[in-house]
Amino acid sequence: MPSVDSSLIRNFCIIAHVDHGKSTLADRLLEHTGAVSQREMKAQFLDDMELERARGITIKARAVVLYHERNGNLYELNLIDTPGHVDFHYEVSRSLACCEGAMLLVDACQGVEAQTVANALAAMEHELAIVPVLNKIDLIQARIDDVTQEIEHTLALEAEQVLRVSAKTGVGVPALLDALIDRIPPPQGDPDAPLQAMVFDAHYDDYRGAVTYVRIMNGTVRKGQKIRLLRGATTYEVLELGQFAPHRRACQELTVGQVGYLICNIKSLENVHIGDTVSVPGDQAAPPLPGYKPPQRMVYCGLYPSDGQEFSVLRDALTKLSINDPSFEFTPESSEALGFGFRCGFLGLLHMEIIQQRLEQESDVDLVQTAPNVTYEILTKKGEMLHIHRPQEVPDSGDIEEFRQPVVRVNLLQPTEYIGGVMTLCQDRRGIQVRTEYLSPTRAMLVYDLPLAEVIYDLHDKLKSVTRGYGTMNYELIGYEPADLVRLDILVNGKRVDALSFICHRIDADRRGRAVVKKLKGEIERHMFEIAVQAAIGARIIARETVPAMRKNVTAKCYGGDITRKRKLWAKQREGKKRMKSIGSVDIPQKAFLAVLDTGEGNK
Amino acid sequence: MNRRFETPRAAYVHVPFCRHHCGYCNFTVIARRDDLVDRYLQALAIELASLARPREVESLYLGGGTPSHLSPAQLCELLGRLREWFVPAGSFEFTLEANPVDMLPDRLGVMREFGINRISLGIQSFLPDKLAALERDHRQPEILRALEHVRGHVGNVSIDLIFGVPGETEDCWRRDLETLIAVRPQHVSIYGLTIERGSRFFGRVRKNQLKRLDDETERAMYLTAIDTLASAGYEHYEVSNFALPGFRSRHNEAYWTGRTYEAFGPGASRFVAGRRETNHRSVVTYLRRVMAGESPVAESEQLEPEDAARERLVFALRRIEGIDKQEFLAETGFRVHDLGGPALERFVAWGLLEDTPQTLRLTRDGLVVSDALWPEFLRQ
Repeated sequence: MPSVDSSLIRNFCIIAHVDHGKSTLADRLLEHTGAVSQREMKAQFLDDMELERARGITIKARAVVLYHERNGNLYELNLIDTPGHVDFHYEVSRSLACCEGAMLLVDACQGVEAQTVANALAAMEHELAIVPVLNKIDLIQARIDDVTQEIEHTLALEAEQVLRVSAKTGVGVPALLDALIDRIPPPQGDPDAPLQAMVFDAHYDDYRGAVTYVRIMNGTVRKGQKIRLLRGATTYEVLELGQFAPHRRACQELTVGQVGYLICNIKSLENVHIGDTVSVPGDQAAPPLPGYKPPQRMVYCGLYPSDGQEFSVLRDALTKLSINDPSFEFTPESSEALGFGFRCGFLGLLHMEIIQQRLEQESDVDLVQTAPNVTYEILTKKGEMLHIHRPQEVPDSGDIEEFRQPVVRVNLLQPTEYIGGVMTLCQDRRGIQVRTEYLSPTRAMLVYDLPLAEVIYDLHDKLKSVTRGYGTMNYELIGYEPADLVRLDILVNGKRVDALSFICHRIDADRRGRAVVKKLKGEIERHMFEIAVQAAIGARIIARETVPAMRKNVTAKCYGGDITRKRKLWAKQREGKKRMKSIGSVDIPQKAFLAVLDTGEGNK
Repeated sequence: MNRRFETPRAAYVHVPFCRHHCGYCNFTVIARRDDLVDRYLQALAIELASLARPREVESLYLGGGTPSHLSPAQLCELLGRLREWFVPAGSFEFTLEANPVDMLPDRLGVMREFGINRISLGIQSFLPDKLAALERDHRQPEILRALEHVRGHVGNVSIDLIFGVPGETEDCWRRDLETLIAVRPQHVSIYGLTIERGSRFFGRVRKNQLKRLDDETERAMYLTAIDTLASAGYEHYEVSNFALPGFRSRHNEAYWTGRTYEAFGPGASRFVAGRRETNHRSVVTYLRRVMAGESPVAESEQLEPEDAARERLVFALRRIEGIDKQEFLAETGFRVHDLGGPALERFVAWGLLEDTPQTLRLTRDGLVVSDALWPEFLRQ
């Protein structure tokens, strides 16, 4: 165990856009400092969730300690890995609070991206020392001077300060380690003061209970001592403590400035609050640290088991997931069309997609997902304020005084040649331009205020297509604003399908309504009778499509050898039908419930 | 008495050989391997010997493939062997499926000699373009000559026609039906072309080289056939089958009414003692197994009484006259309405089934979409 002198500790995180090589660089640092042997090395060591590795993105924060010897001193470098995607901004802010420095990693080919700007600004607001690093300098497409200039323009960092590395080849890594030690200040704090530690993450271990990730701000924590989690005023005994190197490695104490873990026989993650302060029981307790802002769920959708019998299986699976991901929430709900299920809140669309994939991978439940929507506010004529998490909750239009929707400020970064296209995209979604910034002669950032609903549906995909993949975006909620919104209902053979209702702007209602019924017509198979698919606002029908009745469906040959085969085929079809949702006598396939995502842009 | 356990009084023999493997066919056939015929005849003799003693049958059916593809000498051997094991009973029906070009006096002479009394001709169409599309090797002159020869030797003829061939119009189909009626066979089978997995056409449809006709046209063609044949005096007695009075296929009726039947040859299916079995579809594997003294059966299942009843319900409903409810109950032990449940009531309400105190039958509207009804009556 190295002597722990807080002047030899450096705590830092890496801020980077998806694909800019953060995990590869982290791997290289681990390798360079000997934390991981070559033999142990598997690509992207930090991303140990299967899904993270599969998608090449980081979802949860990680912490790992590196030891680096320089001039006879052994430095302890704590790397706190952070997710790069906008949906996980919440996790980023948690990491920032535990660091004195941030490595700002920018791809020398791609340049500065919207997410990088947002996270770098957040790091600056936390008064962290920023170490800007250009990655992938070994590639021939690298635009080293241009991108250095972009960093200088957007973030007001000195060009001379920008380091150049290749995470792939390892070029520049020794200089980077030097810069981390030289530029990032050591942690402050009093080792003799009462214990004060920040809980910045936790995970659940089936054998040990909650594993709490902490950064010691003041004082020292020792094995066997009693600690108190201030928020719940709960007291525990420290059974084990240590650091991630990168596997869990136990030690006797953690002192001021160090980052590590505590295992205290906490049976449930519900008892560990991220952002909480760890101190000692009794009068000597340190004051609580300022906590984090709780995560804000931006997107909601319904998740239903396609087989109603599996409700409790789904509930168990959701509970299990939410234990390790407190940013995800769920509450039971029911729908006439889909039966019993859950309304689930997510940080964003990617978060939603990831949760859904994990549910499917980790449990065996076949899911029906309804189209995602945002939370609206409705002020009723009676003066009540309603928070609408699902379209079915919208009251009659006569009872609504004001219908408000969440508005976000969106930063869109792209090469200047695409500015026109991106502006059109934002204007079509009722965006209000805030400003335009030129990062360099060839790259510009547009800032728009846009309804969140417009952003979550497809803005990211559309931005990628308008900018040939070069555009990036990032957004934050700025508040709620009144808008002319309506609830659009979908009727199948005259019967309203509650799970298909959605909220949209009145001006878009016709287009959206037409697009959705058309899409549904394509999804619903022909039945033995004609099916009317209609879109309606209140009692007024605004669009209609007809699924014609089946005209011919009869097996011609049915002799001795065909009987078994046909019987099995027809019996199988019956099973297939069971998986669909029956509305009246109409069987609606599961993916039809996402049809309301069709914006009808193609038919404009 | 439950028919599932009676001693079979019908037998099917599969003859897999063909001159050419047509693009729409996914049956157990083998083209250009006539070298295997002798081994096949030996294997069949071994399989027949499993009967242990001769059986009385009311029908024997030789299907394929193309049974008529065998040479007169080979036919002699095959038919002779069958007559050793099967003793005609009742109004014995002995059918052989034939390709028109094979209908030459020498073969027909052999057939008559061994008691074949019904020929099922795979004509498919009288129109040259349609026959070319179906990859058939005969044209109208060969058909007419074949009919003349068949009538001179056997008399009782069934003709198969196909509709819904890519490129076919409703007018083409009407002309085919007119020619058919002028020829006036005793029995007609009308098949909407189905392009199934395993056929070459299936691959071409997937690659967009072949386009299926739309449902509306196929429906119109099917209904035209039903009406045209009815007005020409043919009884429509099963989805695809029509007959002049007294000429229904007794063999096929056994399949549809839950009777038992024996079967021999590669890919052949039998229903004996409540058990469905199918021989291996590969001709070579069939030969190898039988020659080695092994069972040629590739798949088999014992049907639970309820599943047997459900199956019976479906296949009997495909017969136009429908189901006699009392008879169904007596023979299966299940009530039609108990098996059909609410789905049955729904189909009656929608006018797809006609329900009278005595019978349950498909309506014309129900007939054309009947495949959509069957899943509701079966269970997995």
